[in-house]
Amino acid sequence: MDKSKSNIKKYAYLLKVLIDRDIRNQYAGSFLGALWTVLNPLLNMIVMAIVFINIFGNNSISLDYPVYVLAGNIIFNMFRSGSEGALTSVVDQRDLLSKTKVPLYIIPMSRVGSSIVTFLFSYVALIIVMIIRIPAGVSFHLSMLMVIVLLPALILFTLGFAFFLSSFFVSFRDIKHFYSVILTLWMYLTPLFYSLDALNLSSTLMKILQINPMYNFVLYFRETLMGIGTDWSTLGICYLWGIVLFGIGYLIFELRKNKLLLEA
Amino acid sequence: MDDNKVLIDANNVTMRFKLPNQKISNLKEMFVKFIKRKLKYRDFYALKDVSVKISKGESLAIIGRNGSGKSTLLKILTQIVKPTSGSVKVYSSNIVPLLQLGAGFDMNSTGYQNVYLNGAILGFSKKEIDQKMEEIVNFAELHDFMNVELKNYSQGMLARLGFAIAISCNPEILIIDEILAVGDTAFQKKCYEKLKELKDKGITFIIVSHSEVVKEMCTRAIWIKDGQKVMDGDINAVYDAYIDFLSTGNSL
Repeated sequence: MDKSKSNIKKYAYLLKVLIDRDIRNQYAGSFLGALWTVLNPLLNMIVMAIVFINIFGNNSISLDYPVYVLAGNIIFNMFRSGSEGALTSVVDQRDLLSKTKVPLYIIPMSRVGSSIVTFLFSYVALIIVMIIRIPAGVSFHLSMLMVIVLLPALILFTLGFAFFLSSFFVSFRDIKHFYSVILTLWMYLTPLFYSLDALNLSSTLMKILQINPMYNFVLYFRETLMGIGTDWSTLGICYLWGIVLFGIGYLIFELRKNKLLLEA
Repeated sequence: MDDNKVLIDANNVTMRFKLPNQKISNLKEMFVKFIKRKLKYRDFYALKDVSVKISKGESLAIIGRNGSGKSTLLKILTQIVKPTSGSVKVYSSNIVPLLQLGAGFDMNSTGYQNVYLNGAILGFSKKEIDQKMEEIVNFAELHDFMNVELKNYSQGMLARLGFAIAISCNPEILIIDEILAVGDTAFQKKCYEKLKELKDKGITFIIVSHSEVVKEMCTRAIWIKDGQKVMDGDINAVYDAYIDFLSTGNSL
């Protein structure tokens, strides 16, 4: 563990360069380039808000609806793009991995890293939307800073998935398709554009849906936007999920490390 | 000067791959076979019980036919992969593998961006790469192309940039896998001259090659045949024996 800690320090610059490359490649050749990182979530949010505002309305949602939708989506998308991007990463980079001394773990890490960068740009889009919605009653709170406390938990959670998925994709290519179905299901089970309170669920079903780790991440994030930064129990659940998933994912990745290079 | 210091010590290295006997294309098939215990693997030995000691300042050529295990040996000596059995000890922190020129180059990035990317892959910081930039551009002779995306480079230009980056990092051990076959003759000559210059400075080399140039470059050679070391010694003796074997083997 000590050795990999000093390696992380040594390869921090490499991680930065790999993330740079990822971000650049996402918008390579496009006319607006990096501007898309902000524009993309902004436009998506407008579409979602227009489509869903008539279906689910504003009742029982205490946050401005467009802000509510965008907030849910940028949190879920960070997890989605990080884990889905990392899934194929080891196989995509097998040339690099089998021909150089680059440590294996840095490859899925860099994909999660670029999803963090995308999240930060999306956060800018969120702030733009919030400014636009000030006439509709949106206000800014100091508790928004608590997102800094939430992020490490979400990063750990995403990294756990990234390590786990990338190490299994090497031998079982089927999980790519399987995982995209799971993600779709997961997205609909997470209250991104609806509210659990508005569904009139039985308390058992409600409890089951509230176990969903993404529910907790999204819930806490929205609370920071509403001026509540002290929901320690939700934050605790987020960290518990993050630490447990990271532990499992990293352990499996380490155990399969030697096999990965030979099979990729 | 401690000339006889051992830098790489590989003992009884064996590398085994498991190849499935029948081709399995999907998970269902594999599952069915696994349940029926019909999933049989064939062992394939890429390397069998190979031991190599490389001392400081040595220049070693690894020769052998395609598929004999040379590249696998290089990957094990550089500790990119772990052998199935046996041990490898490397007593140097500055070992640069050049198994493929510009491994990890990004075609959508410019020449400059790729120097930073490739430099970082070799383990350097931004500051160190900044200092080497001029030397790299000069050696690669790509002054007018550094702001051009790599997808517009020719194979020869890619090779020049890759070699220039690798050579700029002042390695203690340089490991080269048949990469100098690209580029025009003039640039090849320049590369070999640079390698000789580094050799005179006391760098340790391991080169995999088929060409006769290794006779000038190296003092010692190892001949690998079907994963086994058949000869180890003076370059001229080993290389001539290998050529002899090839010509008789071909006439059979």
